[in-house]
Amino acid sequence: MIRISGLHKYFGDQVLFSGVDLDIQKGEVVVLIGPSGSGKSTFLRCINGLEYFQKGEIHVDGIELHSINRTRPGKKDLEAIRNVRLKVGMVFQQFNLFPHMTALGNIIEGPVTVLGIDKASAVDNAVALLKRINLEGKVDCRPEELSGGEQQRVAIARALAMKPGTMLFDEPTSSLDPEMVGEVLSVIKDLVNDGMTTIIATHEMAFAREVAHRVIVFDKGEIIETGPPEEIFTNPKAERTRTFLRRILKD
Amino acid sequence: MKHTLRIFSLLLGLAIVLCWAIPRQPEEGGIAKIKERGFLLWGSDAEGGAPYVFPSPDDPSKLIGFEVDLAGAIARELGVKARQSQNAWDSLVPALQRGDFDFAMNGIEITPQRKQEILFSAPYYIYTEQLTVRKDEGVIQSIEDLKGKKVGTLSGAAAQDILEDIGGVDIKIYSGQVEPYEDLALGRLDAVLLDLPIAAYYAKPNPMLKYAGPPAGEGFYGIAIRKGDDELKRAVDEILLRLLKSGELKSIYQKWDLWNEKQEGLLLNLGGPAGGARLEESRNAPLHTFFPMLLKGAGITIFISTASMALAISLGLALTVLRLYGRPPLSSLATAYIELYRGTPLLIQLYILYYGLPNIGISLSPVVAAFLGLGMNYAAYEAEIYRAGIMSVPKGQTEAAFSLGMTQTVALRRVVLPQALRIATPGITNDFIALFKDSSLVSVIAMVELTKTYGILAASTLRFFELGLIVALLYLAMSYPLSVFARRLEDRLKGVKG
Repeated sequence: MIRISGLHKYFGDQVLFSGVDLDIQKGEVVVLIGPSGSGKSTFLRCINGLEYFQKGEIHVDGIELHSINRTRPGKKDLEAIRNVRLKVGMVFQQFNLFPHMTALGNIIEGPVTVLGIDKASAVDNAVALLKRINLEGKVDCRPEELSGGEQQRVAIARALAMKPGTMLFDEPTSSLDPEMVGEVLSVIKDLVNDGMTTIIATHEMAFAREVAHRVIVFDKGEIIETGPPEEIFTNPKAERTRTFLRRILKD
Repeated sequence: MKHTLRIFSLLLGLAIVLCWAIPRQPEEGGIAKIKERGFLLWGSDAEGGAPYVFPSPDDPSKLIGFEVDLAGAIARELGVKARQSQNAWDSLVPALQRGDFDFAMNGIEITPQRKQEILFSAPYYIYTEQLTVRKDEGVIQSIEDLKGKKVGTLSGAAAQDILEDIGGVDIKIYSGQVEPYEDLALGRLDAVLLDLPIAAYYAKPNPMLKYAGPPAGEGFYGIAIRKGDDELKRAVDEILLRLLKSGELKSIYQKWDLWNEKQEGLLLNLGGPAGGARLEESRNAPLHTFFPMLLKGAGITIFISTASMALAISLGLALTVLRLYGRPPLSSLATAYIELYRGTPLLIQLYILYYGLPNIGISLSPVVAAFLGLGMNYAAYEAEIYRAGIMSVPKGQTEAAFSLGMTQTVALRRVVLPQALRIATPGITNDFIALFKDSSLVSVIAMVELTKTYGILAASTLRFFELGLIVALLYLAMSYPLSVFARRLEDRLKGVKG
């Protein structure tokens, strides 16, 4: 379970969040939508400590992340952040695969160096994951030899290899060519059907409608509307949601 | 993270302390020490050349000269063997004070200034200053005619004082004894004033030059001994007196054609000059006789460059990590180090390391000083290359590593550095080539590497051209494979990067 309460984040004089609250249940699939720059991404990154926040609290499976006002976080803060990261997997818009490792190397890196799992069983698990995403033939390929869609699927497998309880997807298809979007979304769908707690920031409205248990609409750093997808997409209450949906569905 | 930083700084500190702690060969003088050691270590500069100390034309790895003979005789009287310690002439006195050898003997004139710093033995040779001009010179007849003229002499030589006393002379100071006569023959100088033994070997055989007037300004060469080492001074004085009385000193001087009436002040016996065509011989020696010495010099160049580069690579990495990830005092210290070492000349750093540190009680051997000097200097450059490499690794890489639960240290080691080092490799190889050539600078701190070997051989044979070409080829033979390697590496890395 993830609980976010009273989240405040400033960037110099700029206010990014001024009191965001959100609870996410185990096994829930939450999709964040909203215009670019509305804070979806930053919100996700706060959950696994890639961004610090200045006020409020985030609880992830009982671990508490505190606000950090200093330039350098303290030892306790870093430890809490790291513990959260061990429970939460993240997939980035730019894939961020390690270019000096093969597909297999990328996937076993976390289990072996972070969790200390012996290499043989890490490899077994990685091969199984590659099979699951239909890339068993690309075990020894380097990221540069893979297409964007393949890279993003490997990135998902890399996160899954850590056996996280929650997955965060930060616009996972936004930098893909259109013909590759489908293969990545189907891997995510597969995951969601398995009951993984998932938070996805995305511009893929059809996908959002299909997989979301709950849709959260972000604008200018605040949640302006939240509800089941049928409600948000067919009968939005807020004017800003309507404007956003009109604009994005026209494209 | 903190842990790694601590280890890095510990290693850094340890390396420095270790290098300082390595002892040099001889420390305090004293006859007992010399006898126990089994050899007498005497300082001189073979680049100074004939007839004092210079490489033998038959076997350039052996030194000959009247001072070599004299040192041999003194050592024999002490019951030990003589061993020469190579040092630049200007630094013989500081090196003596550092305790690098037992005494220095290399045409060092006994002057009041020097007497304040060191002890002198009884004079072993009476020199005079000989004025030399071009064959076609009509005006300059003697020292009195030098006002307003360009006159060359050696740095620190007594002739310099004589010229300064005349006043109005345009004095050109040289560090080698060959170059002033070359410049005189080429018309860049009007005259050269130098000790007679030098003139006899370097000016007299030159058909373009002639002596002007009789020798002037008589003075003494003495053996320079550390202050406080009175026991050695007494022993050396006694031995000189013995050699004088037995006639051995005279026969040494006769052998080298250095005998003249002036020496009567020193000696009681008289004799005629004997042949001294040794220099002529080495001017015509076949080139291959120089190879063993040049190769030995090249070996030392390779050794010192490789060792220093290893230091530069590891110290540079520690500096970058401290600078980028260290806590405030450490990171600014690393930055200060880099700026200090990049912003000051390597030559000055070497001088301070070798001649400056003994003033505060830290005395490094030439090898250690060269290793530290080059390595610590290049570490600053390597650090900057690494930093550029680390900065060019996209931020997303660290974030991906963090999101897998890696700590800063693990992310650096597993994800950032492997990529940064690939980017940095061509720059590092490039610096290695540069360091190879910069290693010639360590000749100023008594390291006889390839360039210094060239200097010594060329000064005695005057074969600057042929030997220079050979030495240049040797450097090329060492650095070219490195460049090829660097280029291949670069191509390969370009292919890998997506």
